[in-house]
Amino acid sequence: MPVDHRRIRGPDESFSPRLFLPSGSAKCAAAEDRRSGDGARGNMDVRAIFARCGLVSQAKGSAYIEAGNTKVICSVYGPRETERRDETEMKRGKLLADVRLAPFSCRKRGQWIQGTEEKDLSQFLLESLRPGVLLQKYPRSQIEVCVMVLENDGAFLAHAVTCASLALADAGIEMYDVVMGCAARRSGDAVLLDPTFAEEHDEHPSPSGKESRLTLALMPAMNQVSGLQAEGEMDAESLVEAARACMEGCYKLYPVVQQTLLKSVRKKAPPPES
Amino acid sequence: MATVQVSEAEKVYILHGVRDDLRVDGRGCEDYRHMDIETDVVSNTDGSAKVSLGYSDVLVGVKAEVGKPRPALPDQGYLEFFVDCSANATPEFEGRGGEELGLELSNTLYKVFSNKQSVDLHSLCISPGEHCWVLYVDVLLLQCDGNLFDAISIAIKAALFNTRIPKVHLSEDEEGGKEIELSDDPYDCVRLNVENVPCIVTLCKIGHRHVVDATLQEKACSVASLLIATTHRGTVTCVRKFGGGSLDPESIFEMIETGKRVGKALHTPLMELLKEEESLGKKRQKVGFLG
Amino acid sequence: MAADMRLPTRREEVPLQGTFANLVVPGDVITTDTGFMRGHGTYVDDEKLTASVAGEVERVNKLICVRPLKTRFNGEVGDVVVGRITEVQQKRWKVETNSRLDSVLLLSAVNLPGGELRRRSAEDELSMRDYLQEGDLISAEVQNVFTDGALSLHTRSLKYGKLGQGILVQVSPSLVKRQKTHFHNLPCGASVILGNNGYIWLYPTPGQLDEEAGGYYTSMEPVQLADREVISRLRNCLLALAAHKVLLFDTSVLYCYESSLSHQVQASVTCHLPVNEVLIETRGHGGGCDGDTTPP
Repeated sequence: MPVDHRRIRGPDESFSPRLFLPSGSAKCAAAEDRRSGDGARGNMDVRAIFARCGLVSQAKGSAYIEAGNTKVICSVYGPRETERRDETEMKRGKLLADVRLAPFSCRKRGQWIQGTEEKDLSQFLLESLRPGVLLQKYPRSQIEVCVMVLENDGAFLAHAVTCASLALADAGIEMYDVVMGCAARRSGDAVLLDPTFAEEHDEHPSPSGKESRLTLALMPAMNQVSGLQAEGEMDAESLVEAARACMEGCYKLYPVVQQTLLKSVRKKAPPPES
Repeated sequence: MATVQVSEAEKVYILHGVRDDLRVDGRGCEDYRHMDIETDVVSNTDGSAKVSLGYSDVLVGVKAEVGKPRPALPDQGYLEFFVDCSANATPEFEGRGGEELGLELSNTLYKVFSNKQSVDLHSLCISPGEHCWVLYVDVLLLQCDGNLFDAISIAIKAALFNTRIPKVHLSEDEEGGKEIELSDDPYDCVRLNVENVPCIVTLCKIGHRHVVDATLQEKACSVASLLIATTHRGTVTCVRKFGGGSLDPESIFEMIETGKRVGKALHTPLMELLKEEESLGKKRQKVGFLG
Repeated sequence: MAADMRLPTRREEVPLQGTFANLVVPGDVITTDTGFMRGHGTYVDDEKLTASVAGEVERVNKLICVRPLKTRFNGEVGDVVVGRITEVQQKRWKVETNSRLDSVLLLSAVNLPGGELRRRSAEDELSMRDYLQEGDLISAEVQNVFTDGALSLHTRSLKYGKLGQGILVQVSPSLVKRQKTHFHNLPCGASVILGNNGYIWLYPTPGQLDEEAGGYYTSMEPVQLADREVISRLRNCLLALAAHKVLLFDTSVLYCYESSLSHQVQASVTCHLPVNEVLIETRGHGGGCDGDTTPP
């Protein structure tokens, strides 16, 4: 693996002492239900989000989204002429996505260099966004989407999808629909929508022992699922149930995102001539 | 991925064929191509298997090494996946060309195995917090003719079935230092329980229907595919959408149902075949790469 | 759902019929006699005529060539080829035909709707993509071979042109037998174009209406299920024959088709199908009547 020699790095391997705490003591007790933590949020409730467009002045479009402590920033550059002239796909534009987790975003310090995990996240983001963008309107050009996760308090990938489509819309890229992301965690029989970090990494085995995580990207107006990713153990019924829950979550957040976009458009409009 | 060009009229032909449940090569929508499976093909590994599915050829080698457990999970061993897209398969993989596909494949494999059920990771622990077995699962693509995920997962299951991990004995000296002793007898081995190792089924959406085991031509006609990994009991361990298109929620649920059914049905013949091969013992006709 | 898994078996070799008298590998000295001329696949080293490819030695009077048995397509004028458009350029299309270099199809070498004598205007040049675009398949004839080996094609006959619905099967060019005609309407209900370049096109036998648009109209009507079955079976037969290195021409294909009828279409998916029996039968019939087969 290539190492960045410009930085003075610590020992080859170092661990945060918190990793060695007995599980459960440090984490907030995210039980099967959310009665205790997180205020009054029910299992099927998503966190309230705060979203703004257009905060990176250099970028063509940008967005910031905050859900609980999960904070994601995204900027869009382009469309501009493709760098690599691939003969194959000249009729449509090329969408590039890049997801990065800030080293301090998780409990364990990450690396600055993009690892395989981040590449995988980038791919998911790309495949979720691509169906929503009218790429045929941008022949020979490329559009770059850069997502930086500032703080990870669970479900960051889902919020990254929402944030990225907000930024794309802010950049004036033609889209069929705003792509919404939502995540769910299933532990035993309970579905927790939009889980926090503690809920995601809850080590307490549920009675049935089956745990799974699911991230879904939806285009609400078209009713099309553009991204789906699930891992863990689940049976088909619970998987479908969790996916439906995520779609519900997307529909709940959709008006908020629409309002955010409208607000940013209104801001851009020149003052009415009196 | 090795790509093929397909003209519009050919696409229409394939599309209508899928609608009529008769594909270009005579298969129905839920039929696999012929599969050849052979284990124990590379002598330097602890377990290996070669699977050919149509003209896709996959070779998997498993090597067991002693390593340090992950600090978060001190009493478990772990699996490492690496997929190499050999330029033998297609010139597109030359240089760094295959890197992206290789990464996509190996990342997905991590996801497929990221649960407590697939492989009993506790059995790979030698001494908690200090030593454990690390299984390096190296996948080599020799020929690409579509549907790599399914072929790889079957090859991995076969290779893990074939894997024999040497027995080790942990001894403690007076000062409390621990020592690992390897058994002298090379046949003194532990085997893995592969019953719960999932198989991957990739469903390609073509027109209004979906097909399993798509060829490259069929893949060129589809905008989105869904990958579903299931165990023999029908527990789903991974689902993922691939491709640049989007899917209707209802069709996703349908595809999950099909994937689960097809995946479940893959395990029985596979296990039977592996057991049959093992029972042949030395009488087995070794074919290796000449098949 | 069907998954056919088995242990690999070593492929049984069907005994080859006919013997190759002179097989050489690169570096083999063919002759030290200086009276011969060196042809393709040979070089002269130290006055010895040496082979540069693996293949069969052929002698025509004083000329010695080595014909490689497996090679890319070396086209000759008059060959029928099936190819795929890779690029649309100024006044020409680039066509992939399994030969060393991409072949060329000039705009002036195609039949445009409106008759042969129609002049090619600038408008035609602009609308080239409307006739043929990247990825489209065509059947054509070799018009000319350039000095560098690239082929120039033409489709100036109603039987050539853009191909519609059907299946492309790719085999080695040396397996396609040269014949008077490479277009066959097989009696089993499908048609086949056996391209000399090893690209074989299987398609439903067209009706009478088709030829109006000068071969540039493709029907997108669904193909009948029965026709599909025949075509799929033919495809599998072709692959089976090719896997066992049987020369492909209408009779051999037909015999293989007929003897495969006792098996399901699905069973013939693999080349493992009881090809051998089918093959021997095919050889018995097809191999005997060398050359003179009358098109059905």
